[in-house]
Formats: sequence, C-alpha cells, structure tokens
Amino acid sequence: MLTLAGPSNRFCDGISRRSFLRIGGLGLGGLSLPQLLQAEAAAGLRSNHKAVIMVYLPGGPPHQDTFDLKMDAPAEIRGEFRPISTTVPGFQICEHLPLLAKQAQRYAVIRSISDAIDDHSDFMCQTGRRKAGQPPGGWPTFGASVSRVLGSANNSVPAFVGMEPRMQHRPYNAANAGYAGISHDAFRPAADAKSDMVLNGITTDRLADRRALLTSFDRFRREVDASGLMAGVDGFNQQAFGMLTSSRLLEALNVEKEPAAVRERYGKGDPKVHGDAAPMLNEQFLVARRLVEAGARFVTVAYGFWDYHGNNFGNARNDLPLLDQALSALIADLHDRGLQNDVSVIAWGEFGRSPTINKDGGRDHWPRASCALLAGGGMKVGQVIGATDRLGGEPSERPVQFGEVFATLYQNLGIDVNKVTLPDLTGRPQFLVPEGCQPMRELVS
Amino acid sequence: MGFYSMHLLLDFMNSSSMVVVAHPKASQAARRALLGVMTLLVAFLVGSPGLLQGATLEVHYRAGAGELVLDSQDARQQLLATLNGTQDMSREVSWSAEPSGIVRLDTTGRVIPVADGAAVISAKSRDGVTARLPVRVVHAGQPAPLHFANQIVPIFTKNGCNGGGCHGKAAGQNGFRLSLLGFEPDEDYEHLVREARGRRLFPADPPRSMLVTKGTAEMPHGGGKRLEIGSDDYRRLVRWIAQGMPAGKTNAATVQRLEVFPSARTLALNGEQQLVVTAHYSDGSTEDVTRSSLFEPNDKDMASTDANGLLKIFNQPGEFAVMVRYQGQVATFRATIPLGAPVDRLPLAKNFVDELVFKQLKQVGMPPSEISDKSTFLRRVTLDIAGRLPTPDEVRAFEADTAPGDRDRVIDRLLASTDYADYFAGKWAALLRNKRSEPKHARGTIVFHAWVRDSLAVNKSYDRFVRELLTASGEVSENPPVAWFRQVRTLQTQLEDVSQLFLGQRMQCAQCHHHPYEKWSQADYWSFGAAFSQVSYKPGVQPGEEIVIHRRGEAKATNKKNGQAMKPAALGQSAFDMSVDDDPRVFLADWMTSPKNPWFAKALVNRYWKHFFGRGLVDPEDDMRDTNPPSNPELLDALAAHFVASGFDLKELVRTLARSTTYQLSAEPNAYNAKDRHHFSRFYPRRLPAEVLLDSVNTLTGGRSQFEGLPSGTRAICLPDNSFNAQSHFLTVFGRPEGSSACECERSMEASLSQSLHLLNSKDIQTRLSADDSRPARLQTDTRPDPVKVGELYQLAYARSPSVEEVQRATEYLTRKAGASKPGKDAAETEALRIKARREAWEDLNWALLNTKEFLFNH
Repeated sequence: MLTLAGPSNRFCDGISRRSFLRIGGLGLGGLSLPQLLQAEAAAGLRSNHKAVIMVYLPGGPPHQDTFDLKMDAPAEIRGEFRPISTTVPGFQICEHLPLLAKQAQRYAVIRSISDAIDDHSDFMCQTGRRKAGQPPGGWPTFGASVSRVLGSANNSVPAFVGMEPRMQHRPYNAANAGYAGISHDAFRPAADAKSDMVLNGITTDRLADRRALLTSFDRFRREVDASGLMAGVDGFNQQAFGMLTSSRLLEALNVEKEPAAVRERYGKGDPKVHGDAAPMLNEQFLVARRLVEAGARFVTVAYGFWDYHGNNFGNARNDLPLLDQALSALIADLHDRGLQNDVSVIAWGEFGRSPTINKDGGRDHWPRASCALLAGGGMKVGQVIGATDRLGGEPSERPVQFGEVFATLYQNLGIDVNKVTLPDLTGRPQFLVPEGCQPMRELVS
Repeated sequence: MGFYSMHLLLDFMNSSSMVVVAHPKASQAARRALLGVMTLLVAFLVGSPGLLQGATLEVHYRAGAGELVLDSQDARQQLLATLNGTQDMSREVSWSAEPSGIVRLDTTGRVIPVADGAAVISAKSRDGVTARLPVRVVHAGQPAPLHFANQIVPIFTKNGCNGGGCHGKAAGQNGFRLSLLGFEPDEDYEHLVREARGRRLFPADPPRSMLVTKGTAEMPHGGGKRLEIGSDDYRRLVRWIAQGMPAGKTNAATVQRLEVFPSARTLALNGEQQLVVTAHYSDGSTEDVTRSSLFEPNDKDMASTDANGLLKIFNQPGEFAVMVRYQGQVATFRATIPLGAPVDRLPLAKNFVDELVFKQLKQVGMPPSEISDKSTFLRRVTLDIAGRLPTPDEVRAFEADTAPGDRDRVIDRLLASTDYADYFAGKWAALLRNKRSEPKHARGTIVFHAWVRDSLAVNKSYDRFVRELLTASGEVSENPPVAWFRQVRTLQTQLEDVSQLFLGQRMQCAQCHHHPYEKWSQADYWSFGAAFSQVSYKPGVQPGEEIVIHRRGEAKATNKKNGQAMKPAALGQSAFDMSVDDDPRVFLADWMTSPKNPWFAKALVNRYWKHFFGRGLVDPEDDMRDTNPPSNPELLDALAAHFVASGFDLKELVRTLARSTTYQLSAEPNAYNAKDRHHFSRFYPRRLPAEVLLDSVNTLTGGRSQFEGLPSGTRAICLPDNSFNAQSHFLTVFGRPEGSSACECERSMEASLSQSLHLLNSKDIQTRLSADDSRPARLQTDTRPDPVKVGELYQLAYARSPSVEEVQRATEYLTRKAGASKPGKDAAETEALRIKARREAWEDLNWALLNTKEFLFNH
C-alpha cells in the first residue's frame, strides 16, 4: 500500500494527485527513515527533486526603498533613493539593487502582501499563519510540513535545514514544527546542532574506536520492534556518524569546495550580527544551493536586520548592496546550473515599513503592505504582481496573502494544497495553508 | 489519525472510477408483506454428497431477513453466498433465477429487477452445492420517488464532491459549495438550485446541466471525472433535474440506523468478504445502500476495501474493523484473521487480564512469547512505575530474592515509593496543561504540580481527583486545581479537554459541524459546554493572580449553528435537573464519576494500559468512538469494571496491569508473533521518554542536571512544568511535551537526526563523561578488578550482569587502550599517560553503553 510519487502516472502538474495522498499517509504510519528510503529507492525517486530556498529578512525591510519605489509621493514619504530600470520593461527597482536589476527577467516581485501583522517574528514567513488561534500542537512551519509530507530525499541530508542562527530577539526563531512533530523540525547546523556537528573533545580516531565499540556492544535485535523505531534510530545514528566524519551534508555545508569564482560572485557579506537579528552571510546562500543539490527540500537563511526605525537610508545604503549581490548570485547560479525549474527562491520579511519617515530618519512598522521576491521553481517570472497606492500605504491591486505564496511554493514542490492534510493533535485534518489560499495563477498554472 | 485517514479515504474515492449507486427503498407495505413470509433461509445440499459431506451454502443479505422484495425499477440488492457459515462465495458461485425474466443477477450476486412477479434465486458452487432465495418484484416499471436528501446528496458523498478537500470546504471550491459530507442537505439544496441564478441546473436539457457536465468532465472540472455517463448515479441525477429538482417530501423517512452484514466474521489470510449495507429508515423500511456507502478498514496493513464493499484481506493475522458510513450514520464490521498456529502451551494466567488476552490469542492462533527474565522485568517495571532505572542494589536484591511472589513485591515496593508519584505527576501535569507561559504563572504551576503529585502519593481515588479539578473555585494557593481553569480558559477548551482527557471523546469537530465519524452534534457540544458557562475570573490578592469563581445566574451556552441557548447537560443526554444558581460543574462531575458512566472508567484504564503496554486497547487512547473499536473489547470492559469496583483506585489498577503475565512477556518474538501490534502477545519495546532518558543518562554517567531555580541534580521527571524545556536542548530534541494540549500525542516518541547527534557527539554528553566526578573518572580510580566494575556498569545501564563475552570485550578494550598509550619523558609521565588512556577507555565504554538500543529502549 506504499506508493510514492514517481515519474509514471503523471498528471498535468507532473505527478498524480493520488500519489501525493499516499505520501501524505506516510508520516502517520510512523514510517521510519530507512523504510522511507527503501520505498523511495523502490520508486526510483532520488534525483531531480524539487526544493525551496527561503531568505528571511528579519525586522521587515522597507518595501518602498527596495522593490516598490514611490516617486510620485511627497518628499517626506518618497525618501532618498532613485529608481533604476531593469531588464523588464516598465519595472523599476531601487538604485542600490543594480545586480538584481540586470536579471529582473528571472524573478517576480509581489508588491501587495496584505495580511502581515505588527509582530517582530518569523512566524508568518515560516508558517503562513497567524499566531493567534492556533490548533492544538500549533501551526507547523512550511519546512516541517514538507518534511512530514515528503520525508527526506536521501539518507545524508535532512529534508529541512534551517541555516539561521539563534537570534537575540527570540521571536525571530518563534516558528517550530508544531503538530507536524519535533522530528520534522529544522536541522540547524548554524544553531542548536552546531556544536553537536563538530567533534567535542575527542579525535576522529577515538570516534572510530567508539563506533566500533558501539557496534560490538549493540547486539539488541531491532527486529523486536515492529514499529520500526529501532531501525529509525540505527538509520539516524549512521547519518550522524557520516556527518561527523565525512558526508554529503558536511560537504554541502563546506563552501570551500566551490571554485573561487563562484564564491566571489556571492561575496562575503558581513559576518557581524546586525541588531538583535542575524549577520549577513552571503555564503549561506551558496550553502543553501549546495544543500538543495545534496537533497534538502527546504532551506532557510536569515539575513541581516531590517528594523530601520532610525537612519533608514544610511542602513539601507549599507545593507542593500550585500543583499543585491547574494540574491542575484543565487538566482544566476541556479540558472547556470539548470536548476531554475527545480528550485524556488523566496525572499521576504515579516512586514513592510511606514510611508512616513520619522524624526530619526527611520521608517516604522507597516504591516498593511509589504513585498516579496520569488524566483525559479519554473514560475512565470519577469513580472510584477499587485501594487500599492501612491504612498505605498495600502495594496491597491491584487492583495496577496502569505498563504497564497505558500500554496504556490507547495505546488512547486508537487504538493497539492487542496488534497494533502496533516492531523493536528486532536486528529483533525488541517490543510497546509489557510482556507481559501490557492497557488497564485500569476505565477503557476 | 482517524480523521486523517478518513480524508485519505474520501480522496481515494475521489480518484477511483465511478461506481454505481443503488438507492431504492423497500416500502413499508412491502415490508409488511415480507414479514408474513419471514422464513429463515436454510441451505440446500444437492451436489455429490460423497465429496461434500456436511457442506452448507446459504444465500442471504441481512440478519434475519427472508424473502427478498424489490419494490421499484431502481431497487437493487447485493446478496451473499456463504459456505459453512464462514466463507464468502459470492464471487465464486454462479447465480441464476427461475423463472427467468423476473430479475437478473450480475456475477457479484447483485439483483436487478426486470418485471413484476416471483422467482427463486439460486447460487451454485463449482462443487455443485446450491442455495436458494425467493424473490418478488413489484412496481418494476415504476421509478422510486426522488428525495433530495435521501437520494441525491449521497451521490455527492460517495463520489467525494462534498469532501473536506473539495466543495465541502467551508468556503466551497471555485464558487460552488456543498455541506461537509452532506450533513446539511437543506443548505446543499439552496446552493444547487437557487444560488448563482440557477445556472448549475438546466431542467430543459438535464444532461447539459453544469452539475452534470462538470461531474462527467464534459466541461473542464478541477476535480476530474466523477460521474460515468449512463451510470445509476448519472441517471438518477438527470432524472431528478428533469423532474424539476424536487426537494422531496418534508416528512420523508430519514436513515435511523445502518446495518452491515455480516457484522463480524472470522476470515482466512488473503481471503475476501463482500459486505452488505442496509439503511433502516424512520418509517421502518429498509434499503440496500452497499454501493452508496463508504468503507474504511482501521488497519490498512491488514485489509483493503473497494467502493462496492468488497473486503480483501492481506497476509497478516489479527483483528481489525471496517467502518461503514452512509448519510451520517456509521456501522462497524469486525474481522478476525486467525494465524492458526497451535496455542497449546500458554504461560500461567495471573489474573483476568491474562485470561482475556490469552483467550484472544487462542482465537487468533498466535502463541505468546516467553515470560521475560528477571532482570528485564525489573528494568521494565521500574521504568514504567517509577520512571527511572533500577539501582545496582535493587538489581542484586531482586536477583537474590528467589521466593515466590518476588515480582509482585517489586511492584508493591515501587508503588509505595515517591518515585511513582513523581513520575505520574509529570505525566498528568502535562495533560492538565500545567504550562508556564509567563513568569508570573510559576506560583500556580508549582502548587498545581504539587497537588497532582500529593494526590497520587496518597492514592486519592481517581473520581475524587477529577471532581476536585472540575469543580475547583478559589485562589490557587488555597485550591491548587483552579490552576487548570487559568490555563484552559474558554468554555470550548474546557469542554474539549474534559471530554478528551476524562471521557476519551473528541468533541472539537462538533463545535462547527457534525463529526463525520461520531454521533456528536453541535447541540451535544454546546449543551455539554454549558456546564462551564458560569466559570468566571476575578483578580486575586497577589498581583497577577486570579480567583476562579462560579458566577451566579442561569448556565447556558449558545449553539453557534442556530443561535439556540443550550442548557447544561451530560454528553448526549437531557439537561441537568438543577436550579438557576447551582454550579453545573457539580452535576457534570456527578455524572462523569458515576460508576454507570459509559466512558469515564474506560478512558482511564485504556490510558493506563497504553502507558504499560505501549498501545491502547483503543488507540489513540483518547479517541474512543464506536468507529474506533477496542482490539479486545472484553478486556476493556473487565478492566473498567475492576477499576470501578476498586473505588477508582489507581494503584490497584497499576498493580493489576503490572502483575499480569501479559505485561511480563518478553519482547523477543517467537516464530509467529513478530508482526503482532494489537494482541499483546509480546512486549512492545519503546524509547525512553525524554525526562526518563535524561535522568538515566545522568545515572549512567554520574552527571547532574542543572535547572534554573531548582536545586542542582533535580531529576527531570520531577520538573513541575514546561518552562525547563527551553533550558535543555536534550529535553527539547527528545520531545518533552509543552503542556499545550490535553493529548498524550503531544509527547514525541519518534527518532530524529538531532537526537542521534546529541547522544553520540554533544558537548553536553561528553562533559558528563569526562568531568572529574563522572562515573568513568571514578571507575578509573576504583581499585576493584575490572570485571567487577564492568559488571556494575552493566547493572546500571541494563539492570543485568554482563555475559562472560561482554566482560571480556570490555576488559580487552581497557587493556588495549592503556597499552597503546605513549611513553612519557619519565616513568611518572608514562604512568600518567597510561592512567589518562584508561580513563578515556572507561569514557568510551560508558559512551557505548548509553548509545545502545538496549539502553535507549524499554524492552
């Protein structure tokens, strides 16, 4: 009764809906990793998997100073930056994003995200849901849901890797696996798992000794456990040992393996932690690309600190070129490697910023409108979706919800949001996105 | 899980090919006529007697029914041909009817009327055994009158149109909305016939109606093809439109009860069984609704069903149930698939638990594993009752105790220990949502935890425990259980938690819609919740504290569906007989804790069964609906009766479970029961819970946990609330619950990469191993011989002594590592290096033991 989506039995969106239903059931059956791997191996489903990279911009970047400039607004709103033309006729972005301007045909910008809330948190960007009124267990992150629905693509790399550090403002790390279950939470090589991934006070030789010792001691037959959990522990142990010695995951995390030219293209960014959020590590964009190539299905990066209550333009002058380089390098790199139909990229923050510039030259929180950049994933790019009014205060065309963006990303991964559900802790089936949210027709068909 | 699989089923139905749905109803008059000829069908034996001595074949379709009457041109009836009362031959026999021209039969045994008259249906097996059934057809030329709710809505349900993934969503799909699973036919009628200016239906040319052309995918349809042109469903739908979309009589009969035939059967591995589903209507009439019903086995590893009600058994022995649904009614078919192995040598039955488990094992033909050895039992029972590993002293004392009753004495000793109260208090505190969301909650969470712990320590009867909680009023320091009302604040969450936690009834769905698997309606939901309508809060004496009060006034809750005010009532019963100012919670507690309550005792014994056996008799343990039947109903009843008779004595329950031979069986499978997951023919191993594992790692390594605000070395099982999880990566990755739901399922017992990495390589573990007061350091300086020390390590980790081979392997490792140390500048340094190498070797041994499955699992 175990079926996985395979190349056969295709529907117009690539994979039959029914296949996904069966996959949806796997998590529930308590299928252990090795079983899943066997099943996947049997289905011949190892290569060319779909993946998503999300760049989270903590603090909420100014939409009107990045992708939605308001040149017709009065000076106290308009700000200091000039627009520049892009490769897409009629589409202009901020002058401090010149590299992105040169490949605007490769991404789409949504200017009318409309349902943000005034809360400094990654919650909406990770779950697509509001914190209030959560079902028992709590809303899971996109990554945890994907991990639960699709499982790992291979034995070496977890389905969901979160590259973000543990940020000083704790709510920037608020979202978690919720009712999808802790084992589907992000694997965090830059935070919780960081210290566990390097050998702690022992040498490689000693680890080898220990492993041999464990093998000779661990004689308990895993067959006594019909639930498969013991086999699961063995599988994860192997994966962990691999990670500690040499493995695909460790390789993927190591940008030194990349040619110098590629690394230079991404740039260094700024390793200093910005504000109470994250550093601007451009190489994490490269790591993200390496991780999805190695098998990760969803990789998140938290980048910088965009809560510009003061000196909005000075901060932006400093930060935008770094983001420009990292993001444009990632998009170009995916194209160069022929991954533009397999890997989706999304970059956004938790809300936009106020039209009015405050007395400190900053912009304050503005949940009523914000923007998002989407690339790859075989989407219809080179377009602008939605618009805000003359002042950049309210969406005036095609208001978009976070959930619609997630519905689109799920579709890019081959998951039908109208069919697949996960049970919350009461057993109630919950859809992956809020009711009424559908993949955006502008981006996918 | 239940709901989820339902959706899966619906979706499965969606994508499966069209099925023919039969719908006619035998009229009341026909039924009366039928009563006159109510002769139970007996089998006929014709064929060659030499071969088939004693073989009996029977043709039937419903318990106790005789002559079959088909009362309209749409009437259909699925028949069964059963050999020897057990074996379904419906698709093996050849079907015929004499005289011809009255009815025809398809190869599955489905009867279709042709003309008025009487006939006799015969089923003939290949061996020549024949059985007969008289049939009478009336009104063969007349279509049955159409009724929207009874005959059109089921088409949408069977074909998945009104599923939660399609038009049944609250917002509908692409502008067209149906009620979830057809529970609101009046709304559906409105949407279909009146909404969108009637564009969905076209009486002038019914087959061109949008409803039809979308269903047949003649017009593009996101849901694909659902309806086969010319099928029974198609024809009925078209006829309904042609007749001008009649809603049907408002006083038409409704489905009162669903019957599945047979209701239970013992089936062979890889066998088949056709099910026949009959709807019983409020006017006493019946109808074969087999092909309009939805079927779902509760264990998909054991069997599958198709849309026509044919059950296919896989190659796995055991018991399972098939849930059958039609028009909001449910019925259950229970199957036993015997393995058929000889069960002649059963271990000694210690009490009724064993008698009932072994009885089932005999029926199934599955011999149980051997009884576990003493050390396995000691480790298991100490982990399960006291939440810790046995100490080496306990191991030695137990090994030395060879008098009869040694195991019972251990159980009594553990139950008398404070560890029992500590461990179960942690379990209950999480379920009772003892959550510290803000620092100011600390006072409440700590006294509430202490109240739970003390209640368990003095063995307060469970009914009293629940009553004190439910009826709590006042301030938290005077009456700690009010803390529950502080955390569980709304009427909805209070009633949902109470019903799920104490009654095993999940009510959440019924807040907004009829529960698809359950009988609970919105009226049941809100009248049960009304008992909490007068719970109120006012500021306490201490800043940030609250007082829970019963607000005077008439208790009532508003049914969201229709705005009706509901008076407090027990679940599914009429309102409490109480006066205006009475606290309805008292009446609720009276009803819940009554020995007659159908769920209270069962829910608790099932919860505790799962604690000790790894899987509930009903599983999930708090989802005790009719459609999720227990794997051993007799045992569940007996345990509940025993619990009530004991005066709701929790320790007595634990004693009964732990003393049973069933609990003490080995986890090692024999030749027959490796796949057993339902019958408790062996112990099912499980990972140690987060807190117990952390404490056990400390025990083994000699480490101590540090939790902020608590004394150093406080054990994780003693932690009063969830707030310590954030301080401990260990507790987080191993899934200690946050106390945010009343469901045991919040505790994750799965494996993950982060867990493996943490145990294999964290600084946390390495520090515990290499500290100067760690066990490896102490073992290094300990002057006893190595084999003795290795023995102690094994006793700590596994509660057993090592084998000769294991001792040898460990001592060889110690010697080899010490021997491989580098020479120093002088003798003193050489010796220091040798000591360091030996200490590291002890660390390695200790590390290896704590990473073995024998350590990580209770087995």
